[in-house]
Amino acid sequence: MSKYDLPKKFDHKDIDILKPFITETGKIIPARVTGVSASNQRKITKSIKIARFLALLPYTDMHQ
Amino acid sequence: MKKYEAVIILNPNLSSKVDEFKKDFDKLLTDNSFNILKTEDVGRRQLAYSIANHNKGHYILFNLEGDPSKLLEIETKIKYNESIIRHLFLVVKVHNGEDSSLLIESKNKKPETVEIEEKKEVKTEKPKIAEDSPKEEAEDSKKEGDDNE
Repeated sequence: MSKYDLPKKFDHKDIDILKPFITETGKIIPARVTGVSASNQRKITKSIKIARFLALLPYTDMHQ
Repeated sequence: MKKYEAVIILNPNLSSKVDEFKKDFDKLLTDNSFNILKTEDVGRRQLAYSIANHNKGHYILFNLEGDPSKLLEIETKIKYNESIIRHLFLVVKVHNGEDSSLLIESKNKKPETVEIEEKKEVKTEKPKIAEDSPKEEAEDSKKEGDDNE
């Protein structure tokens, strides 16, 4: 249905799956834009935030 | 007993001493009655942003099993270990037995990345030497600079 390949379980280490859901500046794209279901969006958001903490994804493009 | 997934980012300058660190860390875990179910040594990776002035980090992943009360003791020890620049313990319901995508990625890339990292190391070491050595070199560089102009 959706154009994204979504796994059953989201993992903060799967950066390639999470990358389409952040903008170039590192922001999380809202579900109304991507069309992902609400429950999936919550899971994606959570794993993106963990990945950011582990320096796998950027918080912003303003990092030095 | 709870199941944990741990990610630890080590100081990249200590990459050669990873085995020593692993032994110490395994001891710390087993002393606190933690079971180590699986370890993945991802190796050095580019960080998305610099942590404590490091642009690279040595990632190690663990699948653990142990008591939440003991985890506090482990975390206080990690806090004062300067070789660890970041750590995260996550509670998991079920361990995913498969290799993480990070490990697979690092295995595929390894031959290339190793060379690049070595080159960078040499570059970073040079300025340090320049700082240590007294004014003579600085004067030389000034002369060179004049010639170039």
